[in-house]
Amino acid sequence: MPLTYAELERFYEGLVSKARQCGVACAITSGMACVAFGVAAATRDCDLLCAPDAAGDFFSLLFDTPLRGRLPSYRGNLTAPLDSRWLRGGWTSHFVWSVPEGEAFLDVFGIAPRGSSPWQSESRGPYAGLHTVAEMKRTDRDKDWPYTTALGLKLLEQGDSRGWLHLFNYEALSETSKKLACPSEMVSLRPVLSLLPEGGDRLEIALKAEIEFWHRLDQLRLKVYERAVRPYMLAVRGDPLAAATAPLPEQHQARLRHAELLLPANPLRQYGIERLIAEAKAKTAQMLPASALDWLPDVSACFKFFAE
Amino acid sequence: MSEAGNKPNMPDWLTPEVVEHLRLVSYNYQVRAFGEELARVNTLPLDQRRRYIADMVDHATSKGVRFEKPALGVTP
Repeated sequence: MPLTYAELERFYEGLVSKARQCGVACAITSGMACVAFGVAAATRDCDLLCAPDAAGDFFSLLFDTPLRGRLPSYRGNLTAPLDSRWLRGGWTSHFVWSVPEGEAFLDVFGIAPRGSSPWQSESRGPYAGLHTVAEMKRTDRDKDWPYTTALGLKLLEQGDSRGWLHLFNYEALSETSKKLACPSEMVSLRPVLSLLPEGGDRLEIALKAEIEFWHRLDQLRLKVYERAVRPYMLAVRGDPLAAATAPLPEQHQARLRHAELLLPANPLRQYGIERLIAEAKAKTAQMLPASALDWLPDVSACFKFFAE
Repeated sequence: MSEAGNKPNMPDWLTPEVVEHLRLVSYNYQVRAFGEELARVNTLPLDQRRRYIADMVDHATSKGVRFEKPALGVTP
């Protein structure tokens, strides 16, 4: 019998429930959360936020969580060990349960990319909060952006003014403002909203600049990790103990050994967050009129958890 | 889990007229962004929505569609 979406959903929700019973703060985010929030996305893998301090307990739990009798293994040579040091630095640990009828994928990370507030404080059932999920959708992938605006509208429908921070579509933003005034605290967090009363081309170009800026920021962030992971990846690739055929505890120990020697825990902080932001602005300036950059937000708050 | 999760105290600005307006903006936006069918699905109750997505994903999987992202060690 094939591995169905419904079975996977039950499995992942059960995993979260079990983890929380063990005191592990965690929450499902991304596509599966979007379905629950009324912004349906086609996905089968599970993105999971896990409190970095609880990484060890969560790893023990994974080792004790079979799917159709099979235990998980690490996925790929780029995967950091599930350990608080690397989770705290923005790395993701990828796992897969391989059963004859299919595969179940789990990506675990400790810090919500671009998250400006602690995700732990806003969980909804097994899921991360709408605001966190919407912030995480500001990626370098075009396909994610419609979800950002759609989640922003859902937030407003639920009485949460932070929805204004996620409306990146010109028409949706303009239509919303016809019956709803944007609060000044949201304008101070997102200066482009001050253009709402005049609207028109200026607002539309400023929105494009914002999206381009977030794209560039994410591309640059990913490149920092891509460069940092290379020596570790080569070591893992050459180590049979780190291979998916080895038992999970052996894979883990092998990855830990290599990571301690070769994988910087927090490459983004090493690179410099201010530097990253300045470079993203410079790249955006190459694509759009300089005047559009006047309305870019201060995004340092979206990286504060990396800076700690 | 309820649709709205833990409902906070609703702010004064969220009048029935505003809610109706936001729902319309949301629906119209979803039609443009995701198409009429998914916009309709997103108005369904959670259990029906999940069932729809499950059928869609299972059908796609049976036809060989892969949904997983590459394991890059970092999440976009």
